[in-house]
Amino acid sequence: MTSTKEAARNHTGSALPRYLLRRLGTSVILLLGVTLVTFILTAIVPGDPISAALGEGAIQNPATVEAYRERYGMDRSLPERYWLYLVTLLQGDLGTSIRTSRPVLEELSIALPATVEVAVAAVIVSLAVALVMGTIAAYRAGKLSDQIVRVLSLIGLSVPTFWLAIMTYRLFFMELGWAPGSGRLSPSLNPPPRITGLYLVDFALDGDHVGFIDAAAHLALPVLVLSLFTIGLLTRFIRTSVLEVLSSDYIRAARAKGLPTRKVVLNYLLRGASLPILTMLGIAFGALLSGTVLVEAIFAWPGLGTYAYYAAINLDLPAVMGVGLVVGIIYVVINLTVDLLYGVLDPRVRLR
Amino acid sequence: MASPKIRRAMVLGLVGTLALTACAGGNSGDQPNDEGEGGGTLVIDTAFSLETGDPGRNYVPTGSTVLHPLYETLLTFEGDDETEPVPGLATMEVNDDATEFTFSIEEGRTFSDGTPVDADDVMFTFERLKGMEASKANHLVVDIDIERVDDMTVQMTTETPFLQLPAIVTNPALGILNSEVVIENGGTTDDTDAAEEFLNGTSVGSGPYQLESFDLTSQVVLVPSEEYNGDQPAQFERVVVRNVSEAATQLTNLRGGDSHLALDLSGDQVAELGDDFDITAGPGAQTIFLFANQDSEVFGDLANPKFAEAVRYALDYDALLELAGDGAAQATGVIPPMFLGALEDGIEQDLDRAAEALEESGYDGETLTLRFPNDQPIGGVDFTTLAERVQSQLSAAGISIDLAPAPFASEIEPYVDGTADFAMWYWGPDFADSSSFLPFGPDETVGIRSGWPAESAPEIADLVSEARQATDLDEREQAFTDFATALQEEGPFIPLLVPARSFASSGVDGVTYNSNWTIDIAELSPAS
Repeated sequence: MTSTKEAARNHTGSALPRYLLRRLGTSVILLLGVTLVTFILTAIVPGDPISAALGEGAIQNPATVEAYRERYGMDRSLPERYWLYLVTLLQGDLGTSIRTSRPVLEELSIALPATVEVAVAAVIVSLAVALVMGTIAAYRAGKLSDQIVRVLSLIGLSVPTFWLAIMTYRLFFMELGWAPGSGRLSPSLNPPPRITGLYLVDFALDGDHVGFIDAAAHLALPVLVLSLFTIGLLTRFIRTSVLEVLSSDYIRAARAKGLPTRKVVLNYLLRGASLPILTMLGIAFGALLSGTVLVEAIFAWPGLGTYAYYAAINLDLPAVMGVGLVVGIIYVVINLTVDLLYGVLDPRVRLR
Repeated sequence: MASPKIRRAMVLGLVGTLALTACAGGNSGDQPNDEGEGGGTLVIDTAFSLETGDPGRNYVPTGSTVLHPLYETLLTFEGDDETEPVPGLATMEVNDDATEFTFSIEEGRTFSDGTPVDADDVMFTFERLKGMEASKANHLVVDIDIERVDDMTVQMTTETPFLQLPAIVTNPALGILNSEVVIENGGTTDDTDAAEEFLNGTSVGSGPYQLESFDLTSQVVLVPSEEYNGDQPAQFERVVVRNVSEAATQLTNLRGGDSHLALDLSGDQVAELGDDFDITAGPGAQTIFLFANQDSEVFGDLANPKFAEAVRYALDYDALLELAGDGAAQATGVIPPMFLGALEDGIEQDLDRAAEALEESGYDGETLTLRFPNDQPIGGVDFTTLAERVQSQLSAAGISIDLAPAPFASEIEPYVDGTADFAMWYWGPDFADSSSFLPFGPDETVGIRSGWPAESAPEIADLVSEARQATDLDEREQAFTDFATALQEEGPFIPLLVPARSFASSGVDGVTYNSNWTIDIAELSPAS
């Protein structure tokens, strides 16, 4: 006779692929919607991308204008252009940038890892700090340490990120000389052989410890600046979540049994509070990946935000479409990951 | 309460971060000659406008800056003197009609792989650009033909007098390519050319530097070309041109010693640097101007030169200049001061004359709209701030305007289509020659955008023809001066400012502004 647990396991085993397929289907529809909305928005923005791209000299040359219009399909109707975009997209081609004449996919494959590297580091740092601060604040609710944490997190949320970036850069680089200059690497070093596009990983794989340390040092300030806002956000959220769990019966029972605080916090408290924290973490990670324009500009970080900015101000439609799609995919993947982690962390929401 | 383990981990993390940053060291640039006598690494910060490493496809400023030291041109300019081109890879002779230009290539010059430079390379470079209609630089050569005379001589011909040709061949888009190598890597002389990808990774010119790495988004690295045999060898072992889009970051990098040269500082930023840095600040090559459309279907009753005259004399140019910082200048006409034919003195505010002209213009107090692009400051001049001051000055003179800022990419369409009635724009030269400002003439590019046909100002149209067809330099200079003067008297334009190009450097000699390539990296050397 099959036990209840085994039956549940078998059921879950068959449900997961079905669930993933269903999510994949909805994700494809969602991404299709993203391309359509982005395309319509870029099409209705007043302005001519070809004029914007060519500049004064070339725009006076009818042969060049015609060649550009033809190359980028601007001589076709809007539905035709969208259809062609979808057809090339299905072949894994995101089109060619009007501004640089290079494949958008190639350009995004350079810009995205730069942003991923800084965003992942910022999320790790933020989560580590916020977990400690948020838990302390909740445990000591109403006391001085709670007040301090709440004020600190409020400061993290309130300080404008671009201002913080300028100030920290001036202080730690120019005044104190503790941090290296802008960019991903010192001018004296060459980037690592490209494997993942993540400098830390590629330097590590290449066995270049000098490059690794330099790349890590260049990450420090952007990560610090990006983390402060996320720390503020997560700390407040974690405090609230932990406070809710703290008043639950099973925590009181665990504490009444005399379990050590560390065990109560790690095994019961944080696990119980993890679902809303995970949701907020996913949102924060998505925001970090898609919204770091100002910080990237100040630290001369050649990431997705910078790429999106230049694409937008130059009306570089294929590049704008590419960024829209990538950001859409980022959110779809993050949401899916968060949903799957729900099941891992809380048996009650496992697939049935 | 955090456990001791957590506290230890936090302390370790903090110490680790500080150690890491300390290991990498701040202020890594120091002096550019700190690595030995030959000059070490030179770091230049600029906001990239970089699209390609292929000279034939380049027509943006950062591209010209990094390609110029890699690819020599037939003629060139020395420093900031753009009045007359000097020999580069060749010397030039021109016939009396200014329609035949014969270039004799210097014997013995070599490309970075040691191959000699000859007429075939010049022919290929020129014909490739002429054949690539999709290149932004194609317009430079559409009116020019070329033929090979012998192994070391080529002749360029034009149908009409064309004294701007020497300035055109200085443009980095006409940097001479090693034809053999380019053809091997997909180069052709038409739009099927596929050499761009190769040229994005390898330079094949005869300049003092060659390409080590090329990244459109972050940095371009140049190193000396070992085969260079000209008279201006590389002075640095490595030149890193970095993309730093924020001027504030460029300033911080320079002050912190991480870079040696910042190219995009505003006049105010340069002013705060103090004596520890060398400053190069002077008027650039772009003119910011207002125009009043002369097409009555676009600007109604105000489509007349009198309204433009009223605005021209209503403005206090000194007060406008305050917004542009050190190095900027009043636009004395549409031609900036560095070019042939630029006027000595600009308009001075004359409110009586403005009132008289306004009366004659038919303006009856209606509120007008001033359109302008608001996302592309030129030389640190913010268009919105400038427009606000123009608005306030015009208001004092009895002209009421609303401001209508819009992104460049949106605003350029009505400007180019000639449907903008009253607008503020800027204009820079296509190449380093005064003829690049003839488009302000009636029935010329900017004239058409301003609804200004030749029949409205036939004398000025004649001046344009005279300037364009002049066959000797004195005659040409006079024609340009007359053209600029006539525009100030009865044109639809109100030239405002020539914004500054301000550079700040530390430990570098030879920093000068040139409109063709911004700075000449080949001329830079460690400070003596």
